[in-house]
Amino acid sequence: MTVLILTCEEDVTADMVVVHLHGSGVPVVRVDPADLTAGVSLSGEYVHGRFRGHLSAGGRLVSIGGLRSVWVRRPGTPAGRAAQPSPWLTEEAAQALYGMLRGSDARWMNHPDAARQARHKPWQLRLAQRCGLPVPATVITTFPRAAREFAERFPDLVVKPVSGAHPQDPPRAVPTSRVAPDADFTAVAFGPTLLQRRIAKRADIRLTAVGERLLAARKAADTGAEPVEVDVRFAPPGAPWEPVDVPPRIADCVRTYLREAELAYGAFDFAEDADGTWWFLECNQSGQFGFVEVETGQPIARAVAEWLARPVPGETVEAGRTPTTAR
Amino acid sequence: MQPFALNYARPARELVITTPYVYDSGLQLNVLADGRVAARDHALLREVGTTTSTAGSKTHFDD
Repeated sequence: MTVLILTCEEDVTADMVVVHLHGSGVPVVRVDPADLTAGVSLSGEYVHGRFRGHLSAGGRLVSIGGLRSVWVRRPGTPAGRAAQPSPWLTEEAAQALYGMLRGSDARWMNHPDAARQARHKPWQLRLAQRCGLPVPATVITTFPRAAREFAERFPDLVVKPVSGAHPQDPPRAVPTSRVAPDADFTAVAFGPTLLQRRIAKRADIRLTAVGERLLAARKAADTGAEPVEVDVRFAPPGAPWEPVDVPPRIADCVRTYLREAELAYGAFDFAEDADGTWWFLECNQSGQFGFVEVETGQPIARAVAEWLARPVPGETVEAGRTPTTAR
Repeated sequence: MQPFALNYARPARELVITTPYVYDSGLQLNVLADGRVAARDHALLREVGTTTSTAGSKTHFDD
């Protein structure tokens, strides 16, 4: 049975996983939905109470019923590179592709429904609270007065996008930024604003969860002065990422989070404070992991490959052999 | 007026990355000019930065 990877060609992080799948002899088909109708083809029949579907890409043909797992990594917009792309064609292509795949018995990393829900950062904060993870005091509001009152209670604040997205017209980045205590909050009325108590961090933590497996890395913060740049993605390189053990209580909470969110993969960001507490910031359901593996040597790609290659029910595996289907 | 958070926006860095590898549809992997698999060369991946968390990226917001 085959692992289907939905991603773009330039996704070299996916390559890190494909290498392991090749090494273990597990069949892989890599498809970018953007290539639908121009390099990628599909067909599905619903006849006599049965479904038979196929995907074709790069000279490979795979039965949808023969899929072991689907990894939604960095897929392009369906039919985005068609000869005559349009929003209508994209919707048609998305419905055809994902609709057929949803009907398969394949395991997902991550299922589109779970992924869509997991992208909501306010939902993440509430789920993290319910799972027992420490969450910095946060307000999301369009009331300037609520923002001002929050700032009086928590004078050391940061602001960040509610969605995590960045404006594209024109392209701008909105990093997590410190808010001056005397900030004018009038503009809070013009868009939902997320304000959060700043954690005086001594390190950033990236915890990559692959199924039950948790791999955490730690990057020490520059504690020499009051940081101007609080967003590690925008800060100068500084200290390297290094492997770190996951505190057992955090591990329990993270596994609960994944279970509740129905996620097979999640990249959790924490801020570690001076007491060693890991404060939950967010969980990206398809967060990047290549840079962590490259710096720390942690076997994240192998863990992903092993999850994707797990035998399906009814499949037998001999030691050192590729899984074979018994039916 | 613009939303409060946009007071903290900055121009997105236009990253023009020239990757020293190309996709090989037969292998389903990106390969270097000498035929080696790019993903096996961690020093190279670190150098080109294509596996990093790319905040502000147009296509990858799940970083």
